[in-house]
Amino acid sequence: GPEELALLERLLGLPKGNKYGVQGERKVPVLQTNNGPGLTGLMTIAAHLVKQAKKEQLLGRTAEEKAVVQQWLEYRVTRVDGGSSKEDTRLVLKDLNIHLEDKVYLAGNMFTLADILMYYGLHRVMVDLTVQEKEKYLNVSRWFNHIQHYPGVRQHLSNVVFIKNRLYTNAH
Amino acid sequence: MGFGDLKSPAGLRVLNEFLADRSYIEGYVPSQADIVVFEAIAAPPPADLYHALRWYNHIKSYEKQKASLPGVKKALGKYGPADVEDTTGAATDSKDDDDIDLFGSDDEEESEEAKKLREERLAQYESKKSKKPAVVAKSSILLDVKPWDDETDMAKLEECVRSIQADGLVWGSSKLVPVGYGIKKLQIQCVVEDDKVGTDMLEERITAFEDYVQSMDVAAFNKI
Repeated sequence: GPEELALLERLLGLPKGNKYGVQGERKVPVLQTNNGPGLTGLMTIAAHLVKQAKKEQLLGRTAEEKAVVQQWLEYRVTRVDGGSSKEDTRLVLKDLNIHLEDKVYLAGNMFTLADILMYYGLHRVMVDLTVQEKEKYLNVSRWFNHIQHYPGVRQHLSNVVFIKNRLYTNAH
Repeated sequence: MGFGDLKSPAGLRVLNEFLADRSYIEGYVPSQADIVVFEAIAAPPPADLYHALRWYNHIKSYEKQKASLPGVKKALGKYGPADVEDTTGAATDSKDDDDIDLFGSDDEEESEEAKKLREERLAQYESKKSKKPAVVAKSSILLDVKPWDDETDMAKLEECVRSIQADGLVWGSSKLVPVGYGIKKLQIQCVVEDDKVGTDMLEERITAFEDYVQSMDVAAFNKI
């Protein structure tokens, strides 16, 4: 929501001053602009901020990378925010765990907006996971721990702890 | 430390296990540590060691920038899990890095310099601490001293109380508080060193002034 966009602004080094509102039951964020109705939607506003900050590489470099970034942004809004049941969350973690098996970042080898927004979106989920669950979704845990240490990302959000020694599984 | 022989399947398995929950050999950004290990591997790890393969492919993408990655190259034996025997022949690091870290500290593995600096600082702190004089435990006590009746000379009563001297006892301010029927009690503050003066002793000595003092109570007691 708007709080997340404020975090993103700070991460991008943008000056403050943008005004945000929310729309509808789903609390879709709206960026108020000087002329016109404003920009609606988390992904849209986030992409706009990235361009404002002249950090387009965060949206991907190649056409393929850009598509992958968009894919994960869409996933974040539809599956992470949209799904609210325990089952939905479990499926998301399962999906991400498989996807991240052979990747350091969501889009492959580079840190992008997809990682940022997925981190913010998943924070409330990761905070509540048990040690056993964190081990079960080992790749997600690895990725999450990595992103929360990326300079400027975590800000005031709580640090999620990941134990180094595996307690539940021995070999992979 | 070290991964054992990285040219053998056993060594690669150690590397794989190590990288299961890490994106990089050290810390959270690609560094010379990754380059050292990368160059020690003959070929891409097999597909079943998928953490090692993930890491390998990722580091490969930094091939062109490898000279500019942060950090200083150390001997291969200095990286990796602490509980693996270093077979590279380099000096072993006896510090156990893989303890369960319940508080999730940010530094996965301290570099040699950071460790030395930290130990230096610890030594400084310890010596500073030992030079500080021992802190004396003190308490601030508020006493209520009650006279027999409203005719008791409160000024004399106070004089008696204040005449009580002891090592570790300092009298503070006082006031007269009416308790009814014209009777006033003396409320007087004192600071005592816990080891030297106790309320029992104070009570004994105050109530010894039988002519003036009917009883004494501790109205308030605070550690300072």
